[in-house]
Amino acid sequence: MKAFRKLTTLALACLMVVMSVVGLVSCGNSNAWPVDEATGLTELYIGGIGPLTGDYANYGESVKQGAVLAAEEINAAGGVNGFKLIVNYEDSQGAADSAVSAYGKHMDDGMKVSLGGVLSGETASVVAAAKDDGILILTPSASSVAAIDGNDAAFRVCFSDPDQGYAAAQYVRDYNLGTKVAVFYASDNDYCVGLYESFASKKDDYGFEIVEVQTFDDSTKTDFSTQINAIAASGAEVVFVPIYAAEAAQFLTQAEGKLDIPVFGCDGFDGLLTKISDVSDANGVLMLTPFTADSPETNVQAFVTAYTAKYNTIPDQFAADGYDAIFAIKAALEKAELSSEDVENFNDRMVAAIKDITIVGTTGEMSWQDDGNVAKDAKLMEFVDGKVVAYVAK
Amino acid sequence: MKTNLKQKLLNKTALTMSGIALLYLVLCLMVYSGMASRQLLLVILPISCHIVLAVSLNLVVGFLGELSLGHAGFMSVGLFTGCLVSIATVDVLPMAVRIPLSMIIGGVAAAAVGLVVGLPALRLKGDYLAIVTLGCGEIIKNVINNLHIKKGPLAGVLDGALGLNTKTIYSNIKQLLPFLIVLVLLVVWVVLNIQKSRHGRAIMAIRDNRIAAEATGINVTYYKLMVFILAAFFAGMAGVLYGHGFSIIKSAEFGYNFSIELLIIVVFGGMGKVHGSVIAAILLYTLPEIVLREFSDYRMLAYSIVLIVIMLLSENRRFKEWKDSVSLKKLFKKMFKSKTAVAVTETDAKEGGADES
Amino acid sequence: MITLIQALLNGLSLGSIYALIALGYTMVYGIAKMLNFAHGDVIMVGAYAVITSVVQAKMPGVLGVVVSIAICALLGVTIEFLAYRPLRKAASLTVLITAIGVSYLLQNVAQLIYGTEQKAFPELFDSIPTLTLGEVSIEGSLLLTLGLTAVIMAALTLFINYTRVGKAMRAVSEDKEAAELMGISVNRTITVTFAIGSVLAAVASVFYGASYTYIRPTTGAMPGIKAFTAAVFGGIGSIPGAMLGGILLGVIEQMSKTYISTKWSDAIVFGVLVLVLVIKPTGLLGKKISEKV
Repeated sequence: MKAFRKLTTLALACLMVVMSVVGLVSCGNSNAWPVDEATGLTELYIGGIGPLTGDYANYGESVKQGAVLAAEEINAAGGVNGFKLIVNYEDSQGAADSAVSAYGKHMDDGMKVSLGGVLSGETASVVAAAKDDGILILTPSASSVAAIDGNDAAFRVCFSDPDQGYAAAQYVRDYNLGTKVAVFYASDNDYCVGLYESFASKKDDYGFEIVEVQTFDDSTKTDFSTQINAIAASGAEVVFVPIYAAEAAQFLTQAEGKLDIPVFGCDGFDGLLTKISDVSDANGVLMLTPFTADSPETNVQAFVTAYTAKYNTIPDQFAADGYDAIFAIKAALEKAELSSEDVENFNDRMVAAIKDITIVGTTGEMSWQDDGNVAKDAKLMEFVDGKVVAYVAK
Repeated sequence: MKTNLKQKLLNKTALTMSGIALLYLVLCLMVYSGMASRQLLLVILPISCHIVLAVSLNLVVGFLGELSLGHAGFMSVGLFTGCLVSIATVDVLPMAVRIPLSMIIGGVAAAAVGLVVGLPALRLKGDYLAIVTLGCGEIIKNVINNLHIKKGPLAGVLDGALGLNTKTIYSNIKQLLPFLIVLVLLVVWVVLNIQKSRHGRAIMAIRDNRIAAEATGINVTYYKLMVFILAAFFAGMAGVLYGHGFSIIKSAEFGYNFSIELLIIVVFGGMGKVHGSVIAAILLYTLPEIVLREFSDYRMLAYSIVLIVIMLLSENRRFKEWKDSVSLKKLFKKMFKSKTAVAVTETDAKEGGADES
Repeated sequence: MITLIQALLNGLSLGSIYALIALGYTMVYGIAKMLNFAHGDVIMVGAYAVITSVVQAKMPGVLGVVVSIAICALLGVTIEFLAYRPLRKAASLTVLITAIGVSYLLQNVAQLIYGTEQKAFPELFDSIPTLTLGEVSIEGSLLLTLGLTAVIMAALTLFINYTRVGKAMRAVSEDKEAAELMGISVNRTITVTFAIGSVLAAVASVFYGASYTYIRPTTGAMPGIKAFTAAVFGGIGSIPGAMLGGILLGVIEQMSKTYISTKWSDAIVFGVLVLVLVIKPTGLLGKKISEKV
């Protein structure tokens, strides 16, 4: 019996030691450049973080699929300057602290370029942690101001919340959507608040008034009846709903039969049709997005064809952002004249190069400013019978 | 003489303190030599904060015997107050002054809230008190969620449910580690000393029989409030350091779920056992974050099963016997023995015998 | 006025759901003297059971509800047997942590089966016409929720007061040992209590799903906590207390959402709770326990 006790004590102690050594000591070679044996190309680790599970999983999956497709196309064409692009995604479930530890895991694994986070909040939490590393962060879809604020090496592919909010305000006037506007958004989400604030700041410029503002947050996102009743009673002619698709689906289902004014959302509405229980509830809903899969541009059509063939689904704006981000990295590598032989000052040269490039991506022509933002156009779309089509003013 | 020294070293306080100090010494070596992986660097701050939170919650739950489900609320009061102070003084004060100062202010703010929450505790018992502390925690969360700073030099730093922008005071773990070590050692030392002191005995007397304690002249009101205030003070200090390690902090994180997580640590480590709380904080934090990460999808599932099984085992007589045989005290004793290479004396044999009986 | 009536009706509907869940908490507490933290997650399981049977297995709505009730009852009894029965004599905190563990377990199993994304709840009550009184329109599902809850509560009160099993439950809650001496099987009574509590939770889950349309693995947590609050509010262990507490909590929540702000509703609900408990430390209808040395 005594021997048994001693043995278990020993085993327990060993377990703890092994646990700490295996999990916690760094391998010490995170700066190394591994070489792909099959092609002889140097591997360039591009790490992304996003919700691959949870309510926002559709955004994470879309961005990841777009980025992976782009990397495959580039690698199939022989890589870039002797580099093979490796895209790895870690799941964050959309939570900020998970995103930080996912970033840490990427760095342990030898990440060279970061795609930041898919959502604004998670990117914002990574940006400060990444500042010391000087690594280039090019987030495909984090749109809030705070997401890339305070880090000179952080850039984004999508347009920023203020730009999108201004565009939304302008479209309310240009398309005569109404002069009395209600707003419904998530008060604890950077994306939603950013859009609301920039939208509201332009109300005088575009001649509409905001007659009702209703909000929800993560702990109250089950029951929207109070908010829907208030909006219905406010006499608004259109309701601006800058939120994500999961909550938008819930809003539309609960509002069915109670609210008969047009609902107008932004790029967060992407994927709405896969989330809503009855697609007819989405009829007439408007969405602002810089990407349309039925655009006649040849590069867009090539992307849509390749994406559809690979994933058996039509790409949304998030997939296009992910796809464009990888091509922007390729362009930056070429501009900086980095190659597998010459990786001196990799981070600095990448950051400098990204400000100098101009690429024509699937979401339009892009070039980056010093503050990390990109300039683009947005289009107004409408949901009709389970499809997304360009909006035609009535 | 040697035996005397040994007995002195083997007392609980010294053992726990030196164990923790040793742990942090190893951590320091790893962190400052650059040997530590990112994953380790990332868990040091939350684990240290969990240790402080669990040990301070143990004061309320283990020593005073009152169920508190609002500890995270105290933490967030300290966090938001202290970090705001730190943000306001970031350009004026050097870090070595700024962080301790904001910790004290945050701690005092949390203690003040602890006093307010402690007052109903005087009238309520058991589950009624538990639900009031839970309610207070949720109220704190809700109130902070609706606070905005719109004017003055700090405009925009705190924006309601979007949280507190702590980018300007963000400090990496190399900068925070000294403060963490001091805080953890301080809290453990204070709580262990309370336990041994007259006050500690009075608090535990209240737990075991309030009426009898009152009859012997113990000021129940005073001690109950003292425990709540002290626990909140430490939780607030931990919160301030926690806030410095992230770039954005939302009060929604500190709801009842967080409090329950802390309660689990306390119960897991043993009620009223300080070293138990420390070990449980480390194990229960690393379990889902590092050890179980390999199981990815099944991570939290495995965690919940471990939780249930351990609770069921803790009531199992045979398991209790086994657990007593591998107690940490003995582990330390064995390590101590091998390190000093002192021959096994009769005293050891006696001690061992006494422990086993 | 219309807003007031609408808010009141919404509050009553939400309160009914809280009350149904709170009954489960309070009955288990009264009899087994334990806080069954996993009770809220039984609602989530019930809602998923309806989704699976109605949406995936294409059963008619009524049958789906019956399946859900059966699954929940079975689940409640199983949880009691596996996790709580071995701890009958353990410290209350040990049982509480076990219950929390069971709650995590249920959420994670649901996550593995259904994923973390929200799932749409079938529109079971769409066929019930909307009642229009003047300018106030009352949805059919709301009417059904109110009506059925009233019936269930009346039935439960009769059951507790006049049936043999109900009397046994009261006896066990009054004094476990004395009840055992009178020939009542404590274990069986506790099993029955868990079954009844879970059935009520299943009914609540149907109303919940019909009102709020989408279900997630974490759906049960918040109503669970609110119902627990309601049970304590009314005086834990007291059945009329749970009903009153649930309804009041729902009405207060909806009223503060409508007239003050949706942002402050939680603080107001818990604020009222703290206030009431400070004034009346054993809840609205709770028994005053005198302390003896």
